[in-house]
Amino acid sequence: MHSRPPGKIGQPVIRVDQLGIAYETRQGLVHAVREVSFEIHRGETLGLVGESGCGKSTVAYGLVNYLGRNGRIVRGEIQFQGQSLVGRSEEELRRLRGDQISMVFQDPMTSLNPVMPVGEQMAEVLTVHRAMPKDEARTRCLEMLRRVYMPDPAKVLERYPHQISGGQQQRVVIAMALLNNPALLVMDEPTTALDVTVEAAVLDLIADLRRDFDTAILFISHNLGVIARVSNRVGVMYAGELVELAAVDELFADPRHPYTQGLLRCLPRLGRSKASSLLHPIRGRVPAPDRLPPGCVFEPRCDYARQACRAERPALRALRPGHHTRCLFSDEIDAAAWAPPADEGRPAVADSRPAAAGGDPPAPILNVAGLKTYYRHPSASPLGVLGLGQTDYVKAVDNVSFAVPKGRTLGIVGESGCGKSTLIKTLIGLESPSGGRADFIGFDINRRVSQRDLAIIRELQMVFQNPDATMNPSYTVGQQIERPLRRFKIVPPAQVHAEVVRLLRAVKLDEHYYDRFPRQLSGGEKQRIGIARAFAGRPDLVLCDEPVSALDVSVQAAVLNLLMEIQREQNTTMLFISHDLSVVRFLSDDVAVMYLGQIVEIGPAEAIYAPPYHPYTESLLAAVPIPDPTVEQEPIRLEGSVPSPLHPPSGCRFHTRCPRRNLLPAGGQICETTEPPWQEAGGGHRLYCHIPLETLRGLAPVVKAQA
Amino acid sequence: MLVKDYMTRHPILIEPRKHVTDAQRVMTEAGIRHLPVVGDGKRLLGLVTRQRLAIQPHQLASLDVWEITRYLADLTVADVMVKGPDLHTISPDATLEEAADVMIRHKISGLPVVEAPGNIVVGILTETDLLIELQDLLGAVDAGWRVVMRVPDRPGEFRKLVRAIGDKGWGIMAMGSVRTPKDPKHWDLILKVRWCGREELLDVLRGIPDQEIVDLRETRPPAAGPAAG
Repeated sequence: MHSRPPGKIGQPVIRVDQLGIAYETRQGLVHAVREVSFEIHRGETLGLVGESGCGKSTVAYGLVNYLGRNGRIVRGEIQFQGQSLVGRSEEELRRLRGDQISMVFQDPMTSLNPVMPVGEQMAEVLTVHRAMPKDEARTRCLEMLRRVYMPDPAKVLERYPHQISGGQQQRVVIAMALLNNPALLVMDEPTTALDVTVEAAVLDLIADLRRDFDTAILFISHNLGVIARVSNRVGVMYAGELVELAAVDELFADPRHPYTQGLLRCLPRLGRSKASSLLHPIRGRVPAPDRLPPGCVFEPRCDYARQACRAERPALRALRPGHHTRCLFSDEIDAAAWAPPADEGRPAVADSRPAAAGGDPPAPILNVAGLKTYYRHPSASPLGVLGLGQTDYVKAVDNVSFAVPKGRTLGIVGESGCGKSTLIKTLIGLESPSGGRADFIGFDINRRVSQRDLAIIRELQMVFQNPDATMNPSYTVGQQIERPLRRFKIVPPAQVHAEVVRLLRAVKLDEHYYDRFPRQLSGGEKQRIGIARAFAGRPDLVLCDEPVSALDVSVQAAVLNLLMEIQREQNTTMLFISHDLSVVRFLSDDVAVMYLGQIVEIGPAEAIYAPPYHPYTESLLAAVPIPDPTVEQEPIRLEGSVPSPLHPPSGCRFHTRCPRRNLLPAGGQICETTEPPWQEAGGGHRLYCHIPLETLRGLAPVVKAQA
Repeated sequence: MLVKDYMTRHPILIEPRKHVTDAQRVMTEAGIRHLPVVGDGKRLLGLVTRQRLAIQPHQLASLDVWEITRYLADLTVADVMVKGPDLHTISPDATLEEAADVMIRHKISGLPVVEAPGNIVVGILTETDLLIELQDLLGAVDAGWRVVMRVPDRPGEFRKLVRAIGDKGWGIMAMGSVRTPKDPKHWDLILKVRWCGREELLDVLRGIPDQEIVDLRETRPPAAGPAAG
């Protein structure tokens, strides 16, 4: 209909030129952002990607001068709609933020007032700022909530922020940000706190809004998959500098900066299985902004570094129109010819399964049958009398059965609230089971950890998501690792020190770390200590609860490789929880998909990631952001959020959100009334669904990679 | 074909207290001819145009060179902007014809697009946008055959033409009709036809009784094959 090319007409909405931002500290000025230049046109999304601490958020805050008391713009120029933002008065910037620039942050609750109904907060934007009459403002808000696909918008207006789900909160924040029709929308990790299914829906929404409102969007994320899905152009940041800037397709197909290439090699891909790939972490770590190398900032970690790289700091230059890089040798470097350095480890990992096909798997080391963990609901109302029970229970884990053979890894995936963490906590003894049976090498492990034999505790260890919270800040690294060694009497007291050093080496840290305190370590290093500690007692079974979720991709790759290596050496069995389906695929032999306290599909990893899928698995795979813009995914989106486990839906628990119910006669009435049967798909692959296997087999694969 | 589909969203705006020199610089750098002046909440207060920035000689005649400098230094956007009854606007839900009508009547080249409650600026519509609409309407950006037929002013002529082309399975990308200039008894119909060759199209058009081929030309010929359009 419209012959005007999108975006590119006229001036950009925002143009950032050689921006430098510094923070005043006791050590002097710390230059957190240096020489960053980009522009964003109407209806265009620029993605900014990079690891934590590389200055992405500082750039975003710099645009609106939210830098706090000690931060300031020291260099460069920001032109917004033809006028400079640098050096404007606080009052002018405030008005501009209200009228023309909106921001959306990671945690929606930071932008919402908890003591005001959603409708009132939203209307305030219009009544205060535009002096719009109240009822007119309400109509506008309702319209905007509908626009962000909010279910039941009229009711949401009456609710308080805590009464709606996280995904809905973020929709409210986005709707609020759009109420005054901003020319520029800055989004800082807007979907990072959301579940993958909700994230997918929010990302769809952002793409629609950009098109309809012609808004220029600066989208910041550490997740390359998310960036690939929403951006038109992508800027890669490293140590405060923009090192590459290109159109999204070009950046992923032909990255020219060694750092971008390295980042892409760190990522576990959905298509790659445990047997076929090793991740290639980038060695070293991001330099602190006050201790930058004299030449190229990436030089100390770069495989292609030469003398020239150490001598001068490269400028961002155009390789061809629209593709910029900050590397002297971008024209020469051939990413395809890259080979992992010799000291990185074995080039390929052998399948940890004993025999490929036909061989009997070893006997299960962990047997779980009908395991239940219920929490008594704290405020049992007099009306809450249901069925047999007197009180209400939150059925966090309900009738879960599986077995894990020795030396294998079972990955567990599902949205938050599906009970995966409760399951692991029950196995380790932090929660008491309410029913069912779990035994571990023949021992009943239904008791809490305080009542267990030391021998069992020793054989059953855990790696936690947040290494900070599980380390005593006043103990040195050495003391932390020593503790299990002494307690479980793994080695004679005289050899404890040597053993700690051996463990440190095993997690690729040298013995200098022995005397360090946790606060002196980076997140990745802390997680390595956590792993060393878990593996210190040479346990038979290690339970990992999202061990890499809090880590940057390059660190994540190193930790995942490490886990696999140690597991192979010690033939440890692992249970691995993650919300990231690519990570699970990379690390697991078998995968269990959980929904509302139940396992809905379980089987060998490769079977889970190909049809026949359980409809829930299918939706998860359709939602997972893939760091490759050429991959197409089926547009399957789950409606609503996970129902309350207090009163789970009858029949199949997934029936309230199932996108495939209509494949059954009468729109899947049976799903509402009858619990589904377990269907065997062969090779140990089982599905908990009413839809016949043949029908499920006929469905197209969700993820289509281009040849 | 409403104003909101063709306007430029998020136009560059300026505040009334800014210096005229700021407005001048913004307009030159951005290459724009209309700069809406807004107060809090993007409420429209006025419009700066290129003409408004041209200083009238009689305003300066009585001033000496020092006074001129001071006069210019004190001049704000509010002093020069178009305002009050001279300021014309259009709603985003108006048709493009309505917008064109306002622009023709007042001999102006651009209209701020405002939403009714509070006069909030949501876009700007200029002559260029109307020309883009005209271009779209005539299918000028796609390759094909541009045909102008002169037909008598009576029912059924339009149908004859469309049917003749439709029967062949060819595509009509765009069409328009105007009363023939200086000849009220006829209409000129303009069509953009694709998926056919020149000779076969001519054959069909010649076969329509009472209609005259005024003009037939190829626009933006496709590189290869008739189906490329």
